[in-house]
Parts: sequence; structure tokens; C-alpha cells
Amino acid sequence: MGRKKKKQMKPWCWYCNRDFDDEKILIQHQKAKHFKCHICHKKLYTGPGLAIHCMQVHKETIDSVPNAIPGRTDIELEIYGMEGIPEKDMQERRRTLEQKSQESQKKKNNQDDSDEDDDDDEAGPSVSQVPAVAPQASYAVPMTQPGMPPVAGAPGLHHPGYQGMPPMMPGVPPMMHGMPPAMPGMPPAMMPMGGMMPPMIPGMPGIPPAMPPHMAPRPGMPHVAPAPAAGPIPSRPAVPVTQPAVAKPLFPSAAQAQQNAPGAAASNPLTAAVTADPPKATFPAYTQPSVSSSSASSSNPSSSTVVKPPATVTSKPATLTTTSATSKLIHPDEDISLEEMKAQLPRYQRLIPRPGQALAAAAPSVPAVGGIMPPQQGLPPQQPGMRHPLHGQYGAPPQGMPGYIPGGIPPYGQGPPLVPPYQGGPPMGMRPPVMSPAGRY
Amino acid sequence: MSLFGTASSFGTGGTGVFGTTTTDSHNPMKDVEVTSPPDDSISCLAFSPPTMPGNFLIAGSWANDVRCWEVQDNGQTVPKAQQMHTGPVLDVCWSDDGSKVFTASCDKTAKMWDLNSNQAMQIAQHDGPIKAIHWIKAPNYSCVMTGSWDKTLKFWDTRSPTPMMSLQMPERCYCADVVYPMAVVATAERGLIVYQLENQPSEFRRIDSPLKHQHRCVAIFKDKQNKPTGFALGSIEGRVAIHYINPPNPAKDNFTFKCHRSNGTNTTTPQDIYAVNAIAFHPVHGTLATVGSDGRFSFWDKDARTKLKTSEQLDQPITACCFNHNGNIFAYASSYDWSKVRGLT
Repeated sequence: MGRKKKKQMKPWCWYCNRDFDDEKILIQHQKAKHFKCHICHKKLYTGPGLAIHCMQVHKETIDSVPNAIPGRTDIELEIYGMEGIPEKDMQERRRTLEQKSQESQKKKNNQDDSDEDDDDDEAGPSVSQVPAVAPQASYAVPMTQPGMPPVAGAPGLHHPGYQGMPPMMPGVPPMMHGMPPAMPGMPPAMMPMGGMMPPMIPGMPGIPPAMPPHMAPRPGMPHVAPAPAAGPIPSRPAVPVTQPAVAKPLFPSAAQAQQNAPGAAASNPLTAAVTADPPKATFPAYTQPSVSSSSASSSNPSSSTVVKPPATVTSKPATLTTTSATSKLIHPDEDISLEEMKAQLPRYQRLIPRPGQALAAAAPSVPAVGGIMPPQQGLPPQQPGMRHPLHGQYGAPPQGMPGYIPGGIPPYGQGPPLVPPYQGGPPMGMRPPVMSPAGRY
Repeated sequence: MSLFGTASSFGTGGTGVFGTTTTDSHNPMKDVEVTSPPDDSISCLAFSPPTMPGNFLIAGSWANDVRCWEVQDNGQTVPKAQQMHTGPVLDVCWSDDGSKVFTASCDKTAKMWDLNSNQAMQIAQHDGPIKAIHWIKAPNYSCVMTGSWDKTLKFWDTRSPTPMMSLQMPERCYCADVVYPMAVVATAERGLIVYQLENQPSEFRRIDSPLKHQHRCVAIFKDKQNKPTGFALGSIEGRVAIHYINPPNPAKDNFTFKCHRSNGTNTTTPQDIYAVNAIAFHPVHGTLATVGSDGRFSFWDKDARTKLKTSEQLDQPITACCFNHNGNIFAYASSYDWSKVRGLT
């Protein structure tokens, strides 16, 4: 798709600066977020329409558009989709996009991909891109929404030349800056592409940034014009390297420090991922709570993965930055799976048959494990019928405390309340019955 | 014990009698509880294939055992048999004819359990715990696929101690699904690989993850012609991505949706976001079920992109789920060693 068409590449919402795949979705977004009456939830068509409705029906005046970024809250401007946007704002937007594409910034992925309504979780039009199906051109690269969801990105990229499976795909996800590991493989292949990536750009500041380094020879195409595909792709490898803030995502600890610093204003990048500060700045407008995960995610490139063999995590594995002002991920911090965490517990290290051993409490596979071994506290095996005394470690569970979470150690620092189901409480009574396993069969 | 009404009937093997009238968070949906559940968290559930009469449910648990129950039409469950590993069992699957069950464990082995003789023999060996096991039935071969934390994907002819094929993965296998001729494996570091199984298994494509957090579960879905066409991928961040392999319009066809989160966005308290522990597709309707660490399960329609239903919150996370072969029964496992069977009609 040619970039230049469509006012500003892809439809975007003047009120909150979000990008959309097409105008219809943009309009739905505006109706739901900006033109919705806060009293009766009726969706109007324009800002002035909303103001008039509130006045006539509810006798209330409203002076700013809900959920709009500061400076864009004018209730009297009649904007519908992309129509009515003042010319100077259009130009400003164009300029900003070009700027973003030129700087080598990683765009941070904003989590919120769906345009949420107040109803239940609806799928949002986020885009995931599958590596293009047909090698043939037409990348139709997904353009994600306002910066989001990464997905697969680069579908097109691979293909032109690859029919089969490019070794590491990754790469291009426009959003994902984080894919560094994958990148290296790609570049060579990608180059030939040429021409497709335009779609990517609009949304992705990230991609363009990558370009610069490689694109040097290519005359400025903010949007990737020539060899669009090539641009983003080759740039990937460079991205991590060139990002100022990123500092080589190789060291999780360093990355974390960096990540923690910015605080999770609107996004929670995975620590290893490096998220440059600038990307964050682009999303301040997003008012929705989002667990943004960012782009980097996979930035833990090989180095960090190498250090953590599944069973024995000697060095501290990369951790997830899981909290933001508005949301909190109920998961232990380490970026390994819950099963791996559980498997590390001493109780599961002894590979002895435990026929029906109750032992307790099920180690909840979920979060609770976070603590990893919080010494099950001693646990006097008092349980009537508990058999377990054998393994000292578990002691605790019998008490009814759910296995590993003795004392409610909020693995995540959350404290019991957050994970209500889990923490101790209820199970208490339950355990005993379970314990007599042997009897059961 | 018996602070909780629910607990009381357990030992007797009766079906769930949840006496308590007040909020019973243990089994708020009043579903039938399976008798003699395992003693530790349940890692996986699998129902018998249609080739076998009746419905048999297999569950693997962290207590190193694999248990089998017959689920009768009235919902009652009858424990049938059990086998042990020397480490927690992480995945189970049935052979296509329903005579064998394959089990994968943290003890780095996988076993084949012949139900008729109630004998289990080891058929696979890895260098790390085996996280995923699936039976592949192709026109020209049959084998067991095992994905492990040792970053390899191996294919085993059950008669031979050496694998027929071993494929290297970029990272540890976290979950996999197989619907011939497609297999999908999601690994650590958000890796996602699709394999094609025709003729012999080979890597088809590596896909950029549509999700930004650790992958946790994956399930393949089929199109109207009953051919696998895409998969649903769940992460620890309360989100599921629906991804088609060759969609006509990737930007529009692929999407993600949020699920298993605690408060709506309206509240001022931070929203709690839970991991999606398992995804299962209804074999007939094509709707999907997701279960999460928040202790709820939900049903969704991916084509209409809507949520169909969410359960009440259980007191423990739900760790596994599956549908029986005709979709009449939905089983889910709640991690405090209780598992339940839910009739769907």
C-alpha cells in the first residue's frame, strides 16, 4: 500500500492519537470512547452531538471530549472518523510520523489492542501477522493499532524469497523491538524484498527507526518506501544495538534496572526487552489501563536464555516487569514458566514414587509458586492422617495451607487479597480429605 | 475437616455433594466433582477419542501419577486405574484408537500405558522434563511427539528406544498441539513454531508471537472443512491470540482478546491479570474454552468475537481443561487437587 494515501497513512483518532486499520474501526472507536454519553451510555456521532444530547436529555453541560488527550478535547470541533481534522493537526501528525520513522527508536508496544467497550472482553482488532502467506507480494502487513500489538509483524518480510521457513523469523514485527534474537538471521534474506513494507510504517515508529541505520543509502523514506521490507528487517539486528536506551538487551539485570527506572508508566515491558524511553513518551495519551507489554519481550536474546537451563536456574532469569499503575500481572517475576518454577521446588526434585502421597496441597500451579520454596515452614505434620511426614519439606502443606504458599507469601508481593482463591484460606479445611489418598483407590 | 461442606464427601467417593448453600467458592458452578482426584495439582486432562465407546478421562498430576476414570452419562465418575512416574506428570494424550495413553513427566521420560493390560512402558527419553506429548497418526506413519525443556522436539516410534526424528527448537517447549497435518509448538522467550506433518514432520514456519508475554498454552482449531487452519495461543498476561496460518487478510483475521482479568477497567484499583492456563476447542461447535489462574473458565466464539459465558470464580486456579469427543462434557481441573466434570447439554 502506498503510504501516502489515506490521510496520514492510516486512519487515526484525532482525540487520542491512536492508529487504526481502517476508518470503520476508527469510527467505532470514537463512538465508544469519545462520543459516548457518560450518563446513559448512548453513543453519538460527533463531539457536538454528544454535547447537545447531554444538554437536552440530561440537562448537563459537558465541555471536553471524554478520553481525549490534553489539547484535543475540544467539544465543538466536528470530527467524524478522519473528516474534520484541522489541517494543521494533520500536518503535525505527518511530521511526527516521519520523525518517528527516522529516529531509531523502538516503539513500545502498547498493550492495549482491543478497543474495549464496557462489555466483556471483546476481541480487539489487533493485528497479528502471520508470515505472509504467499510469498508474493502483497504484504498487507498488518498494521496494528495504535501502536500495538505486535504480532507477527513481518510476515511479508519473510516471504519474498523464502518460501519455506525462514529460519528465524521474527524479525520484523513492527512492534516488537524485542525480537532481536531473531533478527540476525533475517537480514540477508530480507533485503531483496523491496517494496512492501509500507503498511508497517505508519503505525510503527519502531520499524522505521530501525531503518535509518541501514537505510542510509536509501533516500529518506520515512515510510519505508523502497525495499520497505528490507528496511525493517535488516534493521532489526541493528535496532537493539543502536537504540540508545536499549543498551544491548543482553543483560537482563541491566535491562531491568533500566526498565524499572522509567517505572511502568503505561507499559510493562518485559525486562529483558529493552524499551527505550522515547517510546513511552508516545503513549502517554493512552488512557486505558493497559498492561502493556512491551515490545521488547523477546529481547532476552540468547544470552539470557543461555544462562537459564530449565531445571537449575543459577543466575537470575530475566524477569517480567509486571506492574503498572493500572494493572498487575499475577505471575511470579521470573520469566520462566510456572511448571518450571514448581519443578524446582525441592519436593519435586526427589524422584521417588509417591503413590498417593498426599502431600499436600497442591502446589498451585499458578502464582503461588512464585515464592519458590518458601520453606514450607516447618510444618509440624500434625495432620491427622497426614502422612506425610516423610518428606520434611512439605510439612507445611498439610496444614491446609496450600502447599507452597505457606503463610501466604504473596509471591508477587501481592498479598493474599490479590489472589484470593489461592491463598490459604479456603483450602484449609480441604486438605485433610485429600490427604488420605491411599485410601482412595 | 469438613469446614467446607465440599470436602466432606470426598473420601467416600460420592460425587460432589456441595452441601453448603452460601457462596461455595470451591465448586460454585455446582458441577460434578470427580471422585478420587489426584493428591496434587493436576497438570493435564484428556478425554478418550471417539473410537472408544464411553468417555474415559485421564488426568496427570504433580503427585507423579496418572489416573483414569470412566465418566458415565449421568456424570458419575468411576475411578478405573492409575499409573505412576517418578516425577510429576506434565502432559497426557490418547492414541487414536483409544487403547493407549501416553504420559510425559518431569522425570524426563514418556511412557505408553496400555489400558487393556494396565502396563506402562517407557517409550521416550529426553535430557530434560517433557512438557508436551501428542500422538500423531499420519497415513504413512504413526508416532508420538514429545516436546521438552531440553529444547528438542522428538518423534518416537513406540517400538524403538531411539527417536525417529529429533528437531531442535530455539527454546524450551512450553506447550504444543497437534491436529494432523499441523503441529504448533510454543516455546520460552515467546517462540512459536508451526510444523507440517505430512510425509514426515518438518518445521514449516516460525511465527512472530502475536502476544507480548510468556506463552502458556496453545490449541489448534479447524475450519468448516475440518482441516486445521490456525491456533489459539494463551499467555500469562490474560490474553489469547487467535492466529490463522494463511488468512486472506491477516490484519483483520488475526486478533487477540483479553481474558481472565479481575476488575473492569473502570475501577481505580489495579487490574489483576491472570495467566491463561489452558485452551480447548469444542469439537463440534468450534467455540473455545479458556481456563485461568483466576479460577474461572470462559467460553468464547472466535468467529463472532464474543464471549459466551464466564463461570463463577473458583477458589483455586484452574489448571487444565478439555472437552470429550463429542463436546457434551467439559472437564476442568482446579488446582487444589479437585477436578470436576461438567455436563454441557
